[in-house]
Amino acid sequence: MKTLLETQNLCKSFEDIKVLKNINLKVSEGEFIAIMGQSGSGKSTLLYNLSGMDKSSSGNVLFCGKDISMLNDDMMSEVRLKQMGFIFQNSYLLKNLSIRDNIVLPGFKARKLTREQINCNANMLMEKTGILSVADHDIKKVSGGQLQRAAICRALINQPDILFGDEPTGALNSSATREIMDILNTVNREGKTVIIVTHDAKVAARASRVIYLMDGKLHNELKLGKWDISENKKIYREKWLSEWLEKQGF
Amino acid sequence: MNWQIIKKDLKRNKLINLALFLFMVFSAMLAALSVIVAVQTFTSISELYKKAKPSHFMQMHKGEINREAINKFMSEHGDITYWQTCTMIDMYGECITVKGDQNTYNLSDCRLDIGLVMQNKERDILLNSKHNKAVIRQGEIGVPVLLKEMYKMELGDRIILNCNGITKEFVIKEFILDSMMNSTMCSSTRILLSEKDFNMLQGKVGEVEYLIEAYLTNSKEANAFQTDYENAGLPQNGQAVTYSMIFLLSALTDIITVFVLFFVSILLILISFICVRFTILAAMEEDMNEIGVMKAIGLRFFDIRDLYLIKYRTLAIAGVIAGNIFALLISSIFTRHISITFGDKKISIHAIVLSLIISCIVFYITNFYCKIVLKKIKKLSVVETLVRGNRLNKNAAGFKKIIYKSKKLPVNWLLGICEVFFQFRNWLIVFFSSIIVVLMILIPVNLMNTLKSPKFISYMGSSLEDIMIETGNGKNIEDNYETIKQLLKRDEDILNYQEYRRVCAKTVDAQKKLMNLHIDSGENAGNELQFLSGKSPERENELAISYLNANEMGKETNDIIVLYLNGKEKEFVISGIYQDVTSGGYTAKSKYHFSGLNSEKYSFSVNFNEKTDVKKKADEWNEILGYGIKVEPMEEFINQTLGGVVNQLRTIIFVIIIISSCLTMFVTILFIKLRLAKDLSEIAVLRAIGFSKRDIKMQYMIKIGCISMIGILTGIVLTQVLGEKISNVALSSAGLGIKKVELIINPVTEFIICPLFLIMLILLITWIVVRTIKKYNIITLINE
Repeated sequence: MKTLLETQNLCKSFEDIKVLKNINLKVSEGEFIAIMGQSGSGKSTLLYNLSGMDKSSSGNVLFCGKDISMLNDDMMSEVRLKQMGFIFQNSYLLKNLSIRDNIVLPGFKARKLTREQINCNANMLMEKTGILSVADHDIKKVSGGQLQRAAICRALINQPDILFGDEPTGALNSSATREIMDILNTVNREGKTVIIVTHDAKVAARASRVIYLMDGKLHNELKLGKWDISENKKIYREKWLSEWLEKQGF
Repeated sequence: MNWQIIKKDLKRNKLINLALFLFMVFSAMLAALSVIVAVQTFTSISELYKKAKPSHFMQMHKGEINREAINKFMSEHGDITYWQTCTMIDMYGECITVKGDQNTYNLSDCRLDIGLVMQNKERDILLNSKHNKAVIRQGEIGVPVLLKEMYKMELGDRIILNCNGITKEFVIKEFILDSMMNSTMCSSTRILLSEKDFNMLQGKVGEVEYLIEAYLTNSKEANAFQTDYENAGLPQNGQAVTYSMIFLLSALTDIITVFVLFFVSILLILISFICVRFTILAAMEEDMNEIGVMKAIGLRFFDIRDLYLIKYRTLAIAGVIAGNIFALLISSIFTRHISITFGDKKISIHAIVLSLIISCIVFYITNFYCKIVLKKIKKLSVVETLVRGNRLNKNAAGFKKIIYKSKKLPVNWLLGICEVFFQFRNWLIVFFSSIIVVLMILIPVNLMNTLKSPKFISYMGSSLEDIMIETGNGKNIEDNYETIKQLLKRDEDILNYQEYRRVCAKTVDAQKKLMNLHIDSGENAGNELQFLSGKSPERENELAISYLNANEMGKETNDIIVLYLNGKEKEFVISGIYQDVTSGGYTAKSKYHFSGLNSEKYSFSVNFNEKTDVKKKADEWNEILGYGIKVEPMEEFINQTLGGVVNQLRTIIFVIIIISSCLTMFVTILFIKLRLAKDLSEIAVLRAIGFSKRDIKMQYMIKIGCISMIGILTGIVLTQVLGEKISNVALSSAGLGIKKVELIINPVTEFIICPLFLIMLILLITWIVVRTIKKYNIITLINE
């Protein structure tokens, strides 16, 4: 598989505190990676550095072979707009726009397709994620799960190469979490690379690879392989991951 | 503890607090300035009048007089306390040459009648700048400050009189204050000579004009006295002025200054209120949880309110004190005209006290307003603030279905414009401040344009012609009339001309008392004047009367007026009421010939072919027609008459533009800073989904650009609608005989320069302030 994202000696410090220490990571196309670790281990910081939302203190981040840590704000915004999608713990939709407007907005901005095509794609995404019925609703009038699905649709509208999620299910209940993770697995199966940060082993079990960070260092990783929908295998996989995490001190 | 809170807040929101402080400073400063100028105007004039003792009624007269008849009338009139007849030698400007250090020039272009006088003994004294009786020795001369300002003369300059083969040189010893003729609107000015020089020149140069001055027991009876004087058949070949008219003409420039300053200070207070409201609400919204906690632990409404109020009180006190100090420091710019015209005088204690009182009023109004805004705290419940996170401003409707339905408009424009239209209330501060700044600049500018425009002559009782020729009321009046007619017939440059004859008819006022009505009769009488109601007379039995006459007579358009012409009554229909400042504003116009009445004056309004040099023609005719006939090029006449007011207004407008620019900058900084603070999470979201900092900047520029453009356009519309009304209130309250003026606008200034300047300024400031988002980190913003 071709490497999509790579870090070389990635370091990040906040004043005197070193949060990330010489991270060397390769992410291949089509992978689903879950970053785990204890609070303060630097997992969210790593995600932000991988997505170009934060600048590293030293080291490089190569995306599609290009060093994105060298890009200026305009160029980095362009990369985030057209090639990356991002989901946060909270949906962070724009409060004055409807669900549908929130979704099409980055599409209209990127101008990869015509507006008619973007509207059409948005409808398809909303149908897939089950929120078409609330498409024109005010964002204050829909549930947290629906909002997070809308955020996924927004992240996917420009058909990005990679999807980042910072604890995308952190604010959801278990059934909504399952629904969101099903969507992310579907997206991954369709060929998109997904990287999420989570502290939930059940969520991480959906990933093909789990990376464990400790004190800002890449401590260990576990390859789980592709997510299988068979119920027995799911339970076995979750158990396997839990034991592995326990060994890491999680 | 409160002081600690203020200190912390001042440190945290430096820029916002500075902007609020400056609003208070400007508001208090202009309010105090308007009071200082008003008080200085009236105290300076009063002080000048106390020393100079101007007459309550003055009739100027060219030609011979019968002193005995005058003395008899004056001594027999019950209202007279004192009278005097002074002699003045009228000189042509060409005969007066000034030799300064740098240059030599003559006063040929001066449209004021220049008269040489000697000092009076007891009353109508010409004073020096220190309010002392000016003492001029032989070889010295005292020049009125009016001429000093027009020609920039200096003490020590030499003045050479050259007339009828006599040449006499004088040195300027004093610049004199003339209580009777200190305004360009008076049409005459007096130069003071020593008694010896005056006696030496009298009869040898110029033409003698008499000033018949009367002092009454009550100055308000001057108009009635004027009627008695005229009916007694006493000399009246010249202008007659009354005490109230002199006072008004003297104070006009400063009255307009006071009006403009006061008007601008009110607008500034309004802007301050809008900004205070905005910042209070923003602070309360930010502190919603803290307010909830304070309420939950049992703090009373007043305790919580005072936590906020104390900061605004402190800012208001500091602003008002600083504003007052600034007002006192820069008052000399605004009282310069007063110092020049009425004498250099320190700011009176009354002015200081009243400016302090007005500053206190500004403070109390601000304090009161803050309390009203802070009442919102009372309405908040603990549950609303802590549990539901209630917002003070209910969110306006979102702009749903707009984005996805749009076809072409770029996304930044879409987001910007949608916010402007759907969340307009969030931007009200920019909208209102733009309106107010436009009003602040354009109304004074339009007023200045109006006073500067040649069309203003139509408010002064004349039509807009190239040249006006007038004969005096002397024994040669009919000869002079014929001379003018001959001249006009001969001149091939003339396009057309109209002639008018002024007569004096008797009628009764509202109290049925006999009064004189001065009527200009002629084929074109009343045409092109500014009518408040009705129109110019079209038939011979119609009469148009001036606004002040209409008030005096209690008449309205279409009323019947009876004139007593040579003992017979004749009825006229009032065709209209017009505005006039000539002859004290008491005139009338008719097409009727009044053949049985004596002529008081003839006037001709002349228009030339396009290529004619009007000024040259006026000089040529002045020379041909000689004494007793006045030739005025109208445009220059207006410039010189209202030049003082226009210059003063120009200074004020300059200051207003500086203040407005500062205000616009502060409002923009204050608003954008607060807006950015509120929009942090939205900015972060947009940045996270791929909008660059440049996009965010552009969105803010679009939002503020659209809002301020709407505000500016609304301001321009309001200037059109309200500008005239506001100016007319000021002009009519001045009692000049002008009630309704159509403001003349300069389309380039009003529709291009002013909007463009303001919008550019706002966009520039926005661009600078929004650059601070460079420092924002998406992650920090999201986590906040």
